[in-house]
Amino acid sequence: MILPLTKDDLKVIGYSMSKIVYLVGVLLFLPIIVAVFYGEFDVIPFFLVGIAISFICGSLLYHFLKTKKEMELKHALVMAALIWLVAPLLASIPIWLANATTSYLDASFEGISGFTGTGLTLVTDIDHLSRSINFLRHFLQFLGDGIGIIVVSLSILGTTEMSSVLAFKGEAKDVGIRPSIVRTSRIIIGIAVTFLVIGTVLFTAAGVYAGLDPGTAVFDGLNHSMTGYATGGFSVRSQSLLYYHNVWIEVAAIVIMVIGALNFNLHYAVLGGKRKEILKNMEVRVLLLFLVVFGVFVSANLLQLNLYSSGEALFRKSVFHVISAQTTTGFQTVPASSLMFVWPVLSILMLSISMLIGGCANSTSGGIKLLRVGVLFKSLVKDIKRALLPKSAVVKGSFHHIDDVPLTDTVAKGAAVIALSYLILFSVGAMITVAHGYSLEDSMFETSSALSNVGLSTGITSPTMPATLKVTYMFLMWAGKLEIIAIFVLIGFIILALRKGIRK
Amino acid sequence: MKKIFLLIAIFLLLTPGIVRTESGRALLENAAGFDNKTVTFRGEVIGVIPRGDFAWVNLLDNEGYAIGVWCSAENAENVLFIGDYKHEGDTVEVIGTFHMACAEHGGDLDIHADNFTIVERGHEVDRSVNLPLAALSIALAAVAIFIAFYLWRIRKEREKILPWPSY
Repeated sequence: MILPLTKDDLKVIGYSMSKIVYLVGVLLFLPIIVAVFYGEFDVIPFFLVGIAISFICGSLLYHFLKTKKEMELKHALVMAALIWLVAPLLASIPIWLANATTSYLDASFEGISGFTGTGLTLVTDIDHLSRSINFLRHFLQFLGDGIGIIVVSLSILGTTEMSSVLAFKGEAKDVGIRPSIVRTSRIIIGIAVTFLVIGTVLFTAAGVYAGLDPGTAVFDGLNHSMTGYATGGFSVRSQSLLYYHNVWIEVAAIVIMVIGALNFNLHYAVLGGKRKEILKNMEVRVLLLFLVVFGVFVSANLLQLNLYSSGEALFRKSVFHVISAQTTTGFQTVPASSLMFVWPVLSILMLSISMLIGGCANSTSGGIKLLRVGVLFKSLVKDIKRALLPKSAVVKGSFHHIDDVPLTDTVAKGAAVIALSYLILFSVGAMITVAHGYSLEDSMFETSSALSNVGLSTGITSPTMPATLKVTYMFLMWAGKLEIIAIFVLIGFIILALRKGIRK
Repeated sequence: MKKIFLLIAIFLLLTPGIVRTESGRALLENAAGFDNKTVTFRGEVIGVIPRGDFAWVNLLDNEGYAIGVWCSAENAENVLFIGDYKHEGDTVEVIGTFHMACAEHGGDLDIHADNFTIVERGHEVDRSVNLPLAALSIALAAVAIFIAFYLWRIRKEREKILPWPSY
């Protein structure tokens, strides 16, 4: 029997949120440093307003909802679902005040797209955006998707109670590197910062080689490294990576996108000396398989139409976009309108499937995740074997993911539930987009991009798109990031409160 | 003489690539139609990337569509202002060949400029601090600190009277 909600349930959720709301305020100080460095003093008040509102909200939540009641799984999931809405809404205040978007709705879209690592943008003029606001957009992706806001809070606040473990799961980061959750979260940050530095060096070197001045190369490199590792896809340029017209910047992006799409556990194992794990891991094998299959098919399709005839062009356009889609990053080297008006439907559909599948579980990627797809495929093979063998035969299955994991029906069911939820949301999102007058293939592409937190766009996402579609995509980005279950629990929580009320 | 002017006018009107400046949107949305044709494109310079004797100049039109232009280094050197937060970039008009997927440049969508004209000089943009807004933000920050401190004091007072229950 499901017990009715009590005021204490709300207090537990609100109190745990208060600390993260404070943290958002503290983290907004970082773009102020960037603003001072680049002499953008006129932007600083916008950040101060964001910081002040975050602190006021945090103080009110902390004061009125303070409780010592221990968090349960339902609280953790609802808290994770809510904080992934509240944090972007607060962080988007400076974006809105700086007139980077035409409305607060658009700024909120930008905030959610940033935090969830999606990369779809409604900023009206990226090329004239202040560097500090641009840094904020990229930093949100690194913080939200590259690391995870709850991971950051655990690492800084050092909370060790059970609630932390639960909140961690609510954020869809079920990483079990070390027994201590604080230690694990600090390792995740360590891995992220290490790859951020490597990515910045790669992008900067490629940028200088491409002809950028060193200052621009460092700034662009840092930001693209943040969003590349976070598989977020925001860019400091409206043309995304096409701006640079350089293959080495695209190679740097491919390296950092693939790194970001790999599992944290795998990073830890490889960095800890288990180098062979990268060859044995099922997820890595599935990733390579999909990259090869989609890469070959999309290239063949584009070659057939004689759109890109040279090997270099096929690599820089076809292979690059397959990697960008599969890793759920969203960097582009063709204009959005080329995807809508020039690329063939088959390529667009293949990229849509690639985006829906996404990268590795417990990585910065979105989508259904390669681990689940691998598990579902293996369990299908297991079921076929079971049907072919005599009744008395025992069919066992396993897969290698850091350790050898037995393939049980429970594991397969868990993967199937998430995959089915994604497909339902994808269908609903695509239908809503079609209802707004867009073609089916473009609607499928844009919906899978939003739901899987990718950011590739055919141009549907723009400041002029209908508000209802903006809200739909905001919901899809949010639900996709939290792997849907937390959203269902939140909806259940609300229905329970409405039906049975909230007791003392 | 009149007839010559009339003929020139008709010729110019019938040659859209020469006379009519194409918008970025038209070029991008109908890229196949313009492929390998001579076009005229006008936009603000948002980036200059030198490449030996040549350079990439990225132009942003007034609708927010950007296209890369491949031109001589000499042309690019004439650009004084590049558009960013603090600058309005030079406005340039190029006449050149449009490529939907340039074979020379790894499939990039670009324009190879035959003619590169700076039609308007850019300038610095005034980004002075909005003082009333700055004062308001500082006041709001002060209110935030006051609320945090005030609520902290109330909580401390209450805890003295009624300690937190342990569950």
